[in-house]
Amino acid sequence: MEWLTPFTALYAALITVPLLLLLYFLKLKRHEHIVSSTLLWKRAIRDLQVNAPFQKLRHNILLLLQLLILFAVLFAIAWPVLSMKTGQGRRYVLLIDRSASMNTIDEASSGYSGRQSRLEKAKEQAKVFVESMRQKAVFSLKDDSEQTMVIAFDDHAKVMCNFTSNKQQLIYAIDSISAGHGKSSLSEAIVVARAFSQSPGDEADYLNQEEPAKLELFSDGRISDLLELSVAADEITYHSIGVDSSKNAGITSMQAMRSYENPDEIEIFASVFNYDGKPLETSLQLSVDSDVKAVRDISVPSSGLNSETKKEEPGKAAVNFSLSGIESGVLEVRLLYEDCLDCDNTAWSIISPPRKLSVLLVSANNPALESALKACPLAKLEIQPPEKFDSMDQTAFGFENPYDVIVLDNHTNEHLPKGRYIIFGQPPDNIDVAVSGQLENQVIIDWRQKHPILNYVNLINLFAAKCCKMSLPRDAETLAEFSETPALALVERNGSIFLLAGFDILETNWPFEPSFVLFCYNATGYLGLQVSQQQKNDLKVGEPIAVEGLSPGLEAKVTRSDGEKEDIQANPSGIIRFADTSHVGQYRLSISDGAERFYVVNLLDAHESDIKPVKELEISNSQTIAAQKETISRANIPLWPFLAGLALLLACIEWLVYNLKVRI
Amino acid sequence: MYHKTTTTRKRLTDLLDPEFMARLDSLDVMSRKILQGKLHGERRTKRRGHSAEFADHRPYVSGDDLRFVDWNIYGRLEQLFLKLFLEEQDLTVHIVADLSSSMSFGEPSKALFIKKLTAALGYVSLVNNNRVTISFFADGIEGQLANMRGRSYLHKMADYLISAECDGFSHFEKSCRQLVSGRIGSGITIVISDFLFKEGYDSGLRRLIGQNYDLYVIHVLSAQELSPDITGELKLIDIEDADIAEITVSGALLKYYKKTLNAYCNELKDFCARRGAVYVLANSSDSIETLVLKYLRRINLLH
Repeated sequence: MEWLTPFTALYAALITVPLLLLLYFLKLKRHEHIVSSTLLWKRAIRDLQVNAPFQKLRHNILLLLQLLILFAVLFAIAWPVLSMKTGQGRRYVLLIDRSASMNTIDEASSGYSGRQSRLEKAKEQAKVFVESMRQKAVFSLKDDSEQTMVIAFDDHAKVMCNFTSNKQQLIYAIDSISAGHGKSSLSEAIVVARAFSQSPGDEADYLNQEEPAKLELFSDGRISDLLELSVAADEITYHSIGVDSSKNAGITSMQAMRSYENPDEIEIFASVFNYDGKPLETSLQLSVDSDVKAVRDISVPSSGLNSETKKEEPGKAAVNFSLSGIESGVLEVRLLYEDCLDCDNTAWSIISPPRKLSVLLVSANNPALESALKACPLAKLEIQPPEKFDSMDQTAFGFENPYDVIVLDNHTNEHLPKGRYIIFGQPPDNIDVAVSGQLENQVIIDWRQKHPILNYVNLINLFAAKCCKMSLPRDAETLAEFSETPALALVERNGSIFLLAGFDILETNWPFEPSFVLFCYNATGYLGLQVSQQQKNDLKVGEPIAVEGLSPGLEAKVTRSDGEKEDIQANPSGIIRFADTSHVGQYRLSISDGAERFYVVNLLDAHESDIKPVKELEISNSQTIAAQKETISRANIPLWPFLAGLALLLACIEWLVYNLKVRI
Repeated sequence: MYHKTTTTRKRLTDLLDPEFMARLDSLDVMSRKILQGKLHGERRTKRRGHSAEFADHRPYVSGDDLRFVDWNIYGRLEQLFLKLFLEEQDLTVHIVADLSSSMSFGEPSKALFIKKLTAALGYVSLVNNNRVTISFFADGIEGQLANMRGRSYLHKMADYLISAECDGFSHFEKSCRQLVSGRIGSGITIVISDFLFKEGYDSGLRRLIGQNYDLYVIHVLSAQELSPDITGELKLIDIEDADIAEITVSGALLKYYKKTLNAYCNELKDFCARRGAVYVLANSSDSIETLVLKYLRRINLLH
């Protein structure tokens, strides 16, 4: 028998018992009775009081009953618990999965009551576990208490509560776990649990810290990194949450891109997986900025065993949409199918307007290059002589570079600002490209025809009378090679991209080749694409929103997918970073300078969409952890309901006695 | 005359049973002392008077009636002696009854019992040609029927008794004071009351005990007072002064009540015994016949 809150009851008793006695003497409503004289009665009362002061108390059954009722209530307040757990006090770590698949609302008919998500069920079981925990209590017959720690995990682990035996604190910590839409990864949680096991916990008491804490995993088993785990099978107890009968289908990949040939046209690709045993006939809806553009019926085959891998695989279907006349917006693909998991039924993508580039040509006089660049579809082409380029305030290029691509024709500068460059001739010094002299009469021996820059570019006839002999760093990408030196190369250094052509084009026959114009077109297009890629709008759950190149301290406001707003500030490096993208949906970043940017966060994870609970976890070394067969039940019985019942019974008896006017 | 008698009897029968009255006819009030009366009555007194019965001699003093000089002794002794005779006188019976509000209590009420008892005693006294005075008291003497003598007063007495009503606060000492101031001569005083006086009965009774009166105290209590049948949480209200006593009836309290009541009665009895008065406790639910014919004869009030 344990008393969890004995002092509360003691304080209550100190107040209520005298109060009851006081009220008892005050509350009586006496019947009036006329007598010839009160003389003798008063004498009798006086005699009674003098001779037997406790007579009234001793013989009054009503007061006795009321006192019993009060004591029953007071004992109930002391929260007595009959503990049936025996053995040594241990330490436990509750690992509660809060990944996307835990948002599944299982079929109601499957033994669970109500429409609860798996996370809610996991939290309930965890709370039962905590309530069954043995606690160090006053007046307890046993000394050892048990300590528990709570960790919630998806792809990251979050410590909700350190080791403690305080049940209220633990239950509060469990209650405060909110669902996320991330992947589940257990290894980080286990590392954290082991690290905390070394600490003495909140109470810093006697528990043996050398004994490893027992891990209690509450999950549906859809964990991506099980095979990487290195835990002993007896160290972890797995409580499987969820039921097999739940059905789900989800969008597992989606991509939207402008057509290469026709930038006005947007191609959208989506794949839908069906994890149900029955084929799925449903529709996929495409909308732009909440404006429905198309609905396409799809039929997804049922899941089944793959004959080669002998593993169950989902039914798959792919859908293509084509949209035109859309300048920009948020594109949404929605699966019009009600299933148990909602967050994988929608995927979003941001459509950016087709970008036209601003190009700066730094050249003394190169009509071939000028005419080739003029033939490209550019927003702006500015031509400046090298002297003027050198005299420009290049630090201003840092944050708001007015040029998307800078073409340097036989000119280098020691301090090139951050940007994207096409450099003909001598490469700059500080990009780890060594030039070891000049070569003559070089012909092309190979080029990467599939690279976007060299798409449709035929270099077979390229001949260079003079070129630099370049030694590229390891991470450089060689696009074309002369017989003795790289001809074209991509180097990324200091946040800049350099497309190096180690020769003066006027020393080659390239201007006379049609491939030169194509090269200019491709090169500016490719580097321009790098511009738009730098700003990544389509994110996966957990990926941060990041905007670079802002003024330090600039204020911004993020509107989350659930409508909540949060203020953030650019750091001293001029970067805004918002990491809390744990839920799928659209995010809006409003920067105080007026610019508003949209981001979308998608789940797009076939592993999380597969919501069938795993009954046996396969971990490394071919070990398996079987799920507990029974759900957790209470190991201690709270006695307060019985005491409350007793109080009620006594109240009834008191009522009866009062009405029967029993006189003792 | 016949008509008058029947009317009287008829009225008196409201209080007393005719058969009972017939038995009362054979009784008379008896004083324990031979007391001085106003008239030559049927009773011998110690006072020397003019009756035929010789009592004593005493020396003649100047101014004595020469008719009572014993000339035979003068002849023999040559000294003048006066013959003294016992004088037969009437008996004054003073019935003092309590008619305060508290007397209306009880089932049957104490007031009815007192009226019946007064009627019975008055009847006996009047029938035997005693001088009867009936006084009712509450907060002082509320009414008096004085100096009745002979059967002719029966009607008046019955009328008076029946019409009397209980009312008012009892003030015993004051009542006794008034009574004594108007009382002359000697005789019997019978006080009938419940004696539940907050200010006490001592001083009042002391006043009555003096002088030449025999005092009989008849203490009348109702059955409800002698053995209360009440339960629960009660607020007792005094019928006279509205005094309140809050009680929780329990076995212990009832025990203490009876103990207190016994002590109170014994105290009154002792008080009377020490002062030569006679005490009788009567239960108002008992029959008046039993009281009169049995108990009052036993204490020699009647014979």
